[in-house]
Amino acid sequence: MDHPTIFSQLTELFRDVFVDSALVLTPDATADDIPGWDSMTHITLVAAAEYRFGLKFRIVEIEELTNVGDFVSLIERKTCDARDQIK
Amino acid sequence: MRRPSSIVMARLVRAMTIWRIPGRRNHIENRSNREDIRMIFNSYVFLFGYLPIVLTGTFLLARIGATAAHIWLILMSLAFYAAWNAAYLPLLLGSIVFNYAVAIHMTRTGSDANRLWLLRLAVTANLGLLGYYKYTGFFLENINTAMSTEYTWQALILPLGISFYTFQQLTLLADIGAGRIKNIRFRDFLLFVTFFPHLIAGPIVHHREMMPQFQKADYRLNLENLAVGLVLLSIGLFKKAVLADGIADHVTPIFQDAASGKPITLVFAWAASVGFTLQMYFDFSGYSEMALGLARMVGIKLPMNFNSPLKALSIIDYWSRWHITLTRFLTAYVYNPIALALTRRRVARGKQGLAGPRTTWRAFMAIVALPTLATMFLSGLWHGAGNQYLIFGLLHGVALVVNHAWRLARPWFWPDTAHYQRITWPVAWLLTFLVGTLALTWFHAASVAAGANIVMGMAGSHGFAPSAMIGPDDADLSVLAGHGGELITFYLWIAVLLGIALIPPNTLEVMRSWQPAITMPAAAPRRPGFTLSPRWAFSTAVLAVAGVLSLGRVSEFLYWQF
Repeated sequence: MDHPTIFSQLTELFRDVFVDSALVLTPDATADDIPGWDSMTHITLVAAAEYRFGLKFRIVEIEELTNVGDFVSLIERKTCDARDQIK
Repeated sequence: MRRPSSIVMARLVRAMTIWRIPGRRNHIENRSNREDIRMIFNSYVFLFGYLPIVLTGTFLLARIGATAAHIWLILMSLAFYAAWNAAYLPLLLGSIVFNYAVAIHMTRTGSDANRLWLLRLAVTANLGLLGYYKYTGFFLENINTAMSTEYTWQALILPLGISFYTFQQLTLLADIGAGRIKNIRFRDFLLFVTFFPHLIAGPIVHHREMMPQFQKADYRLNLENLAVGLVLLSIGLFKKAVLADGIADHVTPIFQDAASGKPITLVFAWAASVGFTLQMYFDFSGYSEMALGLARMVGIKLPMNFNSPLKALSIIDYWSRWHITLTRFLTAYVYNPIALALTRRRVARGKQGLAGPRTTWRAFMAIVALPTLATMFLSGLWHGAGNQYLIFGLLHGVALVVNHAWRLARPWFWPDTAHYQRITWPVAWLLTFLVGTLALTWFHAASVAAGANIVMGMAGSHGFAPSAMIGPDDADLSVLAGHGGELITFYLWIAVLLGIALIPPNTLEVMRSWQPAITMPAAAPRRPGFTLSPRWAFSTAVLAVAGVLSLGRVSEFLYWQF
């Protein structure tokens, strides 16, 4: 899956979780920029992303996801890894 | 504070020769029967003996090469540990060798499954060791009470810093388990665990924070690092030796009275409770700043551990400012796994997760309440083997759950967040402060009964004023009961310390441009901060001298018992 696709799907996912259909994500947006993004909603975001993209995050990866860009790159890397393994 | 220099010298000499200290609390007193010797940050022997030797050695050896200085720091860190109780050095080394062996096997194995298996083995072994030393007595005691049995046990001396070096190694193994660390040298591993500024009481650091620094550092004398380090050390020492130990003199007798069963009246109960909150804050924040300073002198930065927690406007905010690296550890390795497992189950069954104000009751219970309570329960248990610590943990757990529920529900009836915050912040602050204070009262109480004594006193059940305790028949007057003047002094201490904790920017904010910690407070300072100028040199020197002159009675840091 390519970067823009992940980004747009993630935006949709954020909009669902934060119940804000007008939410616009930028790559360097952090928890400070998005009201309601705390350690609790973070877990919901992670679980929702796992479900949507069909992958599993590791515990140590979760705490490092501090901004939207990290989120996108991690998903990108993990979907690539999964594809490589299939090959 | 003004003393003739001869007395100061005499005290200095005495302190250099006698550096045993009596325990402060009942379960430490059990331990002080042993001939243990303590070389702690706020002791003459550390500041004027150990530290100059470590620094001189490091800077001189760095001329030969960074490796020599690196090895010197490891040896001196082990010596620092051994100075407390050499008998426990083999335990520390054993723990390191075992964990390093596991770490190496984990990096070499090709399969994820093997790595996970090794990680589980190591987690079990580490927590088993920690549990054995911390909880054997506690569990037998509770079993005895519950089952009317009479198991006896040999009181164990808790090895200094065992919680911290255990957690430290677990974070590293977790990183390897995630495949993030490909190889690790033994001496890097050794320094990562034993580095004396954080060995005993944190901050709990990550591989990614420390290893690049250890590898890049040349350990040579750098005047800027030395100056910044000294300033942090001086401020930390002042906080500990002057402020925390100063107010402790007033706090401790009341907690002792509470433990011995004397009913604590309202004015004393509140003073003890708020007073201890301030003592704990200045003690641990002072320790953390000393740790930052010590590491910085040899060119290493540690993460921020405190960020003015008493300024917090919610209990969620409080935990993101108080003992930050422990919060980070518990969130990552306790809260997240539990919450994620529960959320995954919900998502897989097509159920809703958190959805702002539309979050369902069940989702809230599963995703927020349950993992939060479990985490804070474990945090309480970790802080001490005693039921009063469980009350401390659960109080915070419940407060956090209420805080989260309120955050989700509040927009329903007060949608304008900015307006809400502008109007309600004093209430928010007071509520947060009260929860923190109440929880710390249990934390410091010798037992559940002693904690209940003070908390009931705060509620007014034991009368209002000290006069209730001064009866003509009462021959056994409380140390405090007859001293109205002491009570006034105590309240003055509280007012001044509260002012320092609440009003000015904190040390890290003032020193922002010198990057005193790896992670820094978010807010930018309003006024010009610390500069390498005569004015700041003088102020720092005043703090340092005041700190050193208050060292006559060496008292250990509250967090060194974990």
